Amino acid sequence: MINFHPQLAHLRAFAEGTCPTNLALMISAHVDMCPRCQALTTQAQEELSAEVFAAPVDSVVVEQDFKDMMLQITQTADFEPARVQPVSNLLELDGRHFALPRALARYTRKTGNWSRLVGKLWQAPVDLGQEGQANFIYMEKGGRVPEHTHKGTEFTLVIDGQFSDGLADYDCGDFTIMDGSNKHMPFSEADEGCLVFTMVDKPLHFTSGLARLLNPFSQLFFK
Amino acid sequence: MLVGIPLESKHSNAVVPKDCADEMSAYLALVGQARCKRSFAEVFNYFAPRLRSYALKQMGNEALAMELVQDTMSNVWQKSRLFNADKGAPSTWIFTIARNIRFDMLRKQRNRKEDICADDLWPILCEQTADVNEVALDDQVILQELGQLFDELPQKQRVVIEAIYIEGKSQQEVADQLSIPLGTVKSRTRLALQRLKEMLKDND
Repeated sequence: MINFHPQLAHLRAFAEGTCPTNLALMISAHVDMCPRCQALTTQAQEELSAEVFAAPVDSVVVEQDFKDMMLQITQTADFEPARVQPVSNLLELDGRHFALPRALARYTRKTGNWSRLVGKLWQAPVDLGQEGQANFIYMEKGGRVPEHTHKGTEFTLVIDGQFSDGLADYDCGDFTIMDGSNKHMPFSEADEGCLVFTMVDKPLHFTSGLARLLNPFSQLFFK
Repeated sequence: MLVGIPLESKHSNAVVPKDCADEMSAYLALVGQARCKRSFAEVFNYFAPRLRSYALKQMGNEALAMELVQDTMSNVWQKSRLFNADKGAPSTWIFTIARNIRFDMLRKQRNRKEDICADDLWPILCEQTADVNEVALDDQVILQELGQLFDELPQKQRVVIEAIYIEGKSQQEVADQLSIPLGTVKSRTRLALQRLKEMLKDND
């Protein structure tokens, strides 16, 4: 059951097309998985369109331009819907296949190889081009990320399985935003482990024990 | 219409989009089914000036604003068949198209590559397709079953079927490859398909 959703303001910005692109991608994937946020996005779109189209029409004379435009549009050849190649949305790790939400399906082809991080953690980088990098992180049962806080912002979406982090328990579809004010230690006790899709804009900062030794290298992983 | 008279005789915001949703839905349906230009003109005359106000605010200059209006209305014309009145009002549909085009235009302006495009974030103009996963799984099951049945075919028939249906060769190519007459390839194909059909029936 999904308990963690994007903030309403973020959902509205998403519906408006004005939120940062990397956040929009996270929200889009969450919306694919979450009927509640689908309904809220639809509602926001309705409200926004009502606002946009109810605004007074500027009566500057552009009729000729509009007539030409309409003529041009209706004279163009009929559009043949391109047969969209169905993209496989299955992400593979060690023979297991994870079904990704629609918004992330195209990244199955842009995902690098899995590499083992510390302990029972696996990471596969996702190239988002100029939007930077995201990661799939897979926690095997019993896998844990050492306690850390964030120098920047960390977006996390649970794709499969469950994990906890000392603050709360997260289920498939849950979406969280963490920053410097949150300190947590993600771990999974689910039999099937847990796959998350995550983005951070600055490296993590490990806060406890020996894990602090990771800090000089933390940009190498968890980024 | 005379130049100098505002396009909307009712003036400015007298008509709230919701009130004309049914009317506009009907026009869009006619555009979709019959490529009706008069219906499109109704939709265009209502939405284009309003889109222009939105676009001016978003894009900041007239040329880009008109490009946004044109791309949006062009999509409305081309893809009206994808509009589904059960899923929402025409104004909402057209707004979402404009929003997507605006998003891609702004990214292009900033020289962002197409790593992420609006259609991925908000899939509104895609044909609804079955879940990729389900299809793949179904295919897999069928292929697995067929694979077993294949093994039961006589060797000579199996070779022919595999060459045609898996490697995609023509019957003539298969005949050449195996150095057998074309007629033989045809009869082996026919017999094999017959046999497969019977086996599938027995399996049910």
